[in-house]
Amino acid sequence: MAEIPQSRAPNPKSDTPVPVWRLLPRQHLALALGLVAAVVISRFSGSIDAYLVDVAIGIGINVILAVSLNLVNGHTGQFSLGHAGFMSVGAYLAAACTVFAGPRLLGAAPGPLAHNLLFFGALLIGGLGAAFAGLLVGIPSLRLKGDYLALVTLGFGEIIRVIFQNVEVLGGALGFNGVPAYTDFAWAYGWGVLTIFTVSCLVNSTYGRGFIATHDNEIAAQSIGLDTTRYKTVAFAVGAFFAGVAGGLFAHLKLSIDPRGFDFTRSIEIVVMVILGGMGNTLGVILAAVLLTILPEILRPVAEYRMVLYSLLLIILMITRPQGLLNFRFGKTRL
Amino acid sequence: MPPLLQLHQATIRFGGLTAVNTVDFAIAEGSLCGLIGPNGAGKTTVFNLITGVYAPTHGRITFAGHDLAGKKVHEVAALGIGRTFQNIRLFDRLSVFDNVRVACNRHRATGPLQTLVRLRAFRDDEAAVSRRAEELLEMFNLLRFRDTPATCLPYGEQRRLEIVRALATRPRLLLLDEPAAGMNPSEKADLVRLIRHIHREFGLTILLVEHSMRVVMGVCQTIAVLDHGMKIAEGTPAEIRQNRKVIDAYLGEEHAPLKAE
Ligand SMILES: Nc1ncnc2c1ncn2[C@@H]1O[C@H](COP(=O)(O)OP(=O)(O)OP(=O)(O)O)[C@@H](O)[C@H]1O
Ligand SMILES: [Mg+2]
Repeated sequence: MAEIPQSRAPNPKSDTPVPVWRLLPRQHLALALGLVAAVVISRFSGSIDAYLVDVAIGIGINVILAVSLNLVNGHTGQFSLGHAGFMSVGAYLAAACTVFAGPRLLGAAPGPLAHNLLFFGALLIGGLGAAFAGLLVGIPSLRLKGDYLALVTLGFGEIIRVIFQNVEVLGGALGFNGVPAYTDFAWAYGWGVLTIFTVSCLVNSTYGRGFIATHDNEIAAQSIGLDTTRYKTVAFAVGAFFAGVAGGLFAHLKLSIDPRGFDFTRSIEIVVMVILGGMGNTLGVILAAVLLTILPEILRPVAEYRMVLYSLLLIILMITRPQGLLNFRFGKTRL
Repeated sequence: MPPLLQLHQATIRFGGLTAVNTVDFAIAEGSLCGLIGPNGAGKTTVFNLITGVYAPTHGRITFAGHDLAGKKVHEVAALGIGRTFQNIRLFDRLSVFDNVRVACNRHRATGPLQTLVRLRAFRDDEAAVSRRAEELLEMFNLLRFRDTPATCLPYGEQRRLEIVRALATRPRLLLLDEPAAGMNPSEKADLVRLIRHIHREFGLTILLVEHSMRVVMGVCQTIAVLDHGMKIAEGTPAEIRQNRKVIDAYLGEEHAPLKAE
């Protein structure tokens, strides 16, 4: 095979010393800054109205859910309706860790660091458990085409809810109470930043363009050698992992979880955020998650109409901005 | 030397329709072959059989010593078969550049985890892929459209981008499905030059499906003719032009002996 001549001159700046901060890739710098900001802002949250902090944490959790679902539904184009189901797996697993294993572990090593480590471990276990559930559901169904995934994930969400309703150790239908109050601003936003970082890094690479290629034209993606089932599985597992973490954060925010809190409507709420944000547009999806968390708070007096308003808003937006809130990039202009 | 690609009695039925019927066909490494026939003859279906989109009902397909039976589409691609599509299948949401870059993935060493850690190996991989994609685009005069969404390209350029994308996977065998469709005569002349060029420069074996006799007769060394799923003739362009069966089934009298466009 003929070698293509190297048309580029070597980088002329390669010998000059680089500033220390340039040693890190841009994405890692943003990650570090985001994590530091989350912790610093959290320090001041004591002086802010507790209700506002609560809403802010809710926003953080919804951002995690929406951005992670966006990898599956938006970028990779797999219509999953099971995000609340994966969230519940993470919520129950993480809560079980801190409630059952926590006292024993903390008895051996008390102190705030131990609490933080315990919580971090619990969230990781919740996330990994959800990712495992994601693989169990995803591997057999991601090979199927079209709407099967929506049906399977919908079924999964309902089954997992019924299971949790019947496990007495986890509170059954009455709910799982007495979960320690670990979730604060720093935890929610730290994980929010980590979710955005992970999804952006995955997608913004030559490897990650394969998620979008899988979505745009599966046969063509396969014809250039991409294992599209594998891409879908990776997206699904990563999405489920962060849903599980969000569930763990949610459990340690509400201190009491109930299987009904993770039902079909919850999944739909997250799907709506992704659609509203413009499938595959991370910034738009973050904005939509913020908007749709604040909106019901503003509309508290008419809370019964929330779903009606959701539908109305969706219809209006689908008509005016079918490509999503922030999607200006690819217009219809032909050259 | 055994042929690079070989079809043994390849057959596929869709319900009652036998779209490809006991086709025997071989392509030697380095050759430039044509596959022609009337609409619905089964040409695209042959491509889909070779690339693993469909599994043959009967018969066997081998490529470079591998039996392709049971191989998935991406596995066939990994063995070194690239293709373009009759109805263009570019990645709409990706830029021209990314359409080519994503096709270079097959040759990268780093996977999903490295996209998070972004160590040296990952960055080298990305840089190498970007450089190669730019070189390919440059070579086909598409670099000026680098950041344009693929679907915003003019039609003829989209067809060429599909060829570039297939080349980015570094195939040994390239399958082109009607690359000249919708092109005007001057674009067709460019395409003929382009096909000859890539055949030579990349040391490729090419199988070309095309209705434009000018293109087929102009570039192919050998031609096979399909009709109703059956191979009715095979030979050099001159032989095919004079073949009675081919004239009756497909070419018609105006293409008969030596009256090329
Ligand atoms: N997936 C399928 N299911 C059913 N029938 C099919 C399928 N794919 C192709 N066919 C049929 O097989 C026959 C051959 O089709 P094919 O697309 O291979 O023809 P072709 O030679 O490429 O024609 P054209 O020149 O129009 O592209 C047609 O009758 C077509 O309708
Ligand atoms: Mg065809």
